[in-house]
Amino acid sequence: MTGAVPSQKFDVVVVGGGPAGLSCSYTLAKKGLRVAVVERGRTPGTKNLFGGRVYSSPLEKVYGNFRKEAPIERWVKHEKISVVADDGALSLDYDSNGSTSFTAYLPKLVAWMASKAEAEGAVIVSDVRVDDVTMDGHRAVGISAGGDRLNADVVVLAEGVNRLLCERMKVVPPLSANQVALGVRQVVRLGSDKINERFGLAGDEGLAWFFLGRPSDYLPGGAFLYTNSSTVSVGLVLYLKQGIQMPDNEVYDILEKFRSSPPLDQLLAGGSLVEYGSHLIPEAGLKMMPDRLYGDGYVIVGDAAGLVLNLGYTVRGVDFAVHSGFLAAEVISDAYSSKNLGAASLATYEQKLNQSFVVKEMRRHSAIQKMMQKRHIFEAYPRILVDAARRLYEFDEVSPKLLEAGRLSMKGRRSTIGVLSDLLALSRGP
Amino acid sequence: MSQTGQVQTQPKASSRTSIEDALNADVWDVDESPHIEVDTDKCATCETRPCLSFCPAHAFALLGERMLYSYEGCLECGTCRVLCPKEAITWKYPLSGRGVQYRF
Repeated sequence: MTGAVPSQKFDVVVVGGGPAGLSCSYTLAKKGLRVAVVERGRTPGTKNLFGGRVYSSPLEKVYGNFRKEAPIERWVKHEKISVVADDGALSLDYDSNGSTSFTAYLPKLVAWMASKAEAEGAVIVSDVRVDDVTMDGHRAVGISAGGDRLNADVVVLAEGVNRLLCERMKVVPPLSANQVALGVRQVVRLGSDKINERFGLAGDEGLAWFFLGRPSDYLPGGAFLYTNSSTVSVGLVLYLKQGIQMPDNEVYDILEKFRSSPPLDQLLAGGSLVEYGSHLIPEAGLKMMPDRLYGDGYVIVGDAAGLVLNLGYTVRGVDFAVHSGFLAAEVISDAYSSKNLGAASLATYEQKLNQSFVVKEMRRHSAIQKMMQKRHIFEAYPRILVDAARRLYEFDEVSPKLLEAGRLSMKGRRSTIGVLSDLLALSRGP
Repeated sequence: MSQTGQVQTQPKASSRTSIEDALNADVWDVDESPHIEVDTDKCATCETRPCLSFCPAHAFALLGERMLYSYEGCLECGTCRVLCPKEAITWKYPLSGRGVQYRF
């Protein structure tokens, strides 16, 4: 560990300087606790990657002056979802003047969160990969990295989706293909004028655009596009369990096919690729959550706790991470005051998280989360919907009735009973 | 509110970016020692080899029947670790902040 780190014990050591770890550290430091954040990246943010959009309310709750200070690219004023088949696409646009979510570069947002934590007195130790959580019996008492140790009363596991430490502690089983999706993303520089012109945006208005069907090669998942100030983030999400059944396609090839086909080839023409990256996304909802999010001397937050919700038309992860870190900090701070840092005391974090919008949202939408993993949904429905639209919009003399178009388009793709059972599954509560 | 549009399906080959060019767009600080180790003897007995199509960095390749891999262009997503049916991959994060440096 670097010489700048004081050798004495910290109150809390946070493993991972991402959205969850840093909101936790900031909140703890603000409450006067001595916090160290250990981050494997050269600086916080350099190992973070996401699609491109953040819901702001949970961040505003943690950071008072968030809207003025944070590195926000564009507020999302336009939402679009396109269902794409081989011979056409059907789109739904939503325009509003609201500002509940924004596009951002996660490395920049995380760097800003790190500066906020540091300003409150948290110590950020970058460049250090944590190898182990040090245990005293069943109690976490610190971390070790490259033979060095850092002791603390509480360890916050904010290590991200590849929760190697949690696995080694045996608090979660090894990550499996049915728990995660692979996200790949390109960032294309286009300039703000061209972005506004081509995507029909004014000023700093942002667009969030989802694609289902052909863009993911009809595999469970989808594609996305977000506009930043002068760049566009464009990518693909593929559920790994279903993805591995795909015959010969390569992930990068599917992404390139999507990006270089209409309408994106025209929209992004002349742009230059400035970054390509990939990241796993927790997608199993409540099933990926550890049985317990706490133990003697530790709590688990953010992606490591599986806190992501993908609804097909929107994805939430950063805001869940931030809120889980915030709740963990509140509980740790209370536990500190009452001088009881055992599992029973830290259990309050799990209770608070369960009562919060984070787990409530994941529960409420568990039916759609399950549907998002079903292959037939992505194979049949884009083709049915686009075919129905074709029947309704393209005709010589006689046009079909609405339901007739639907019925004809379902033929050979999905039975009426199949469609009804899908609707039933979708409407089923937790 | 809603609209339809015709989408042409023929991609322009000329506008494709190769995986090499895509990876070259990134900022790298490559470690001298690999953070991924693959027991390639196990790969020889693997029938499905999902790493070949699913590694987004094309870090795995077959030379005849021999599995080759490179850690230098690894995007650190962890997909290979999750997918490998033979548990042939020892996967850690690079030390000292090395590897890919995300900026956007």
